[in-house]
Amino acid sequence: MNKNDIDLYKQFVKTIFKMRYKGSLLGFFWVLLKPFFTFIILFIVFSAVSGRVGNLSSQEYAIYLLSGLIIFTFFNEGITWGLNSIMERSDLIVKINFKREIVVISALTMALINFGINLLIIGIVALVLNVELSLIGFAYIFLICLVMFLGMYGISFFLSIWMVHIRDLAHIMELVLQLMFYASAVFFPVEMIPERFRFIVHYNPIALFIQAVREALINQNIISLKFVLISLVVSIVVVIIGKRYFKKNILKIAEYF
Amino acid sequence: MEDIAINIKDVSKKFKIPVNGHTNSLQEKFLNPFRKTEYREFQALKNLSFNVKKGEFFSVIGPNGVGKSTLLKIVSGIYIPDSGTVEVDGKLVPFLELGVGFNPELTAKENVYLNGTILGLTTKELDGYIDEIFEFAELKDFANLSIKNFSSGMSVRLAFSIAIKVKSDILVLDEVLAVGDGEFQKKCFKYFDDIIGQKTILFVSHGLDSVKKYSNRVLWLKEDRTYEIGDPLEMVEKYSKTF
Repeated sequence: MNKNDIDLYKQFVKTIFKMRYKGSLLGFFWVLLKPFFTFIILFIVFSAVSGRVGNLSSQEYAIYLLSGLIIFTFFNEGITWGLNSIMERSDLIVKINFKREIVVISALTMALINFGINLLIIGIVALVLNVELSLIGFAYIFLICLVMFLGMYGISFFLSIWMVHIRDLAHIMELVLQLMFYASAVFFPVEMIPERFRFIVHYNPIALFIQAVREALINQNIISLKFVLISLVVSIVVVIIGKRYFKKNILKIAEYF
Repeated sequence: MEDIAINIKDVSKKFKIPVNGHTNSLQEKFLNPFRKTEYREFQALKNLSFNVKKGEFFSVIGPNGVGKSTLLKIVSGIYIPDSGTVEVDGKLVPFLELGVGFNPELTAKENVYLNGTILGLTTKELDGYIDEIFEFAELKDFANLSIKNFSSGMSVRLAFSIAIKVKSDILVLDEVLAVGDGEFQKKCFKYFDDIIGQKTILFVSHGLDSVKKYSNRVLWLKEDRTYEIGDPLEMVEKYSKTF
């Protein structure tokens, strides 16, 4: 990384950020409003009607739902933006030679920024609802976020290249992500899933991350530590392999747009 | 060799062009699972070798479709050759297209930083150049205006003014020597007059007059993928006789 690469990275992130909300009246506030409204809608649908969701009080459910949404949104945006990153900057890639990886890391940084902002919302909602959050819980969330970031970064090295060759990937991933949303117990308690289908949540890494974050937030429990640490190692390996794959395959990419 | 800026050795480049357009979708593969995509091969460059000396003004001429643009993209590192080697000694700036990455929604100033960093400048360097850039482009009063409100002449002036600030040893030029209106064109030519002899220039053009006027040597790419390198006057004359 030389000085220019870092500056280019900053410029790309800044531009994506500005462009995403440019022209809209509320601009930046949409970053906050969008997840907030999704939260409100789901919360009303599931909690206001019955008062309790599974064995969670509506206050607990609020945190439960919000943490699920935020982790999943992070995953969703990271994968989607990572996937599209090279394709979206094809205009630059066919015209000038620069470090192509910067495009991928910028897209993921954007997802990370959104995630950070969303965490703030959790904090605010928790304050309003008088739910106590533990420091150790927050620290654990940061670890999980790091693991997810690395994992998605590594996966994006593959996805962004494949996307150029098979344009259908955008649609396929959209479906996969939708499926993942329901398979990750984002808005309903895991206990509501019939026993025989519960394996879906037990073998779905995103669901496990979400559960770990919830336990940390609501009960100040550290669960799945072993799984998170293994994921960290796996993610690092994926980044290393992905980077090599990317370096090799990016060279000819300009011919395929 | 220390005085060689660009060394092209035995470079070949072939493109596979799908006969029925690009098959980047699964739809076609589903519909015709057994049919292989047919490709037409297009040989853009074949066993091309030449070198450009430091400080030389080297021009490439030839009819459309002989691989001139491909050559520039290979030298700029956007395409990689199928075989052969490309060595470039020094910082190379492609003037292939001005204003790469310009975003119409952003202000002129924001675009200077974006385009400047894409071309290889650091933010700090741009902080120092920003006034000179707007001065040269004669757009001082428009710095905070969105580029979408610029005329095409205005944005190309801005782009040119950024590009000349990039510290480079080698310039790769595609046709454009001068942009903007008459007044601004004079400034462009003055800039090139100043750097000719200082910087290495690889120039691709159909404008045979400027080729004759500035070049030290000329590479003539022919339809049959052969080529000749030689004195500008002689090459241009020979090339002119082919049409």
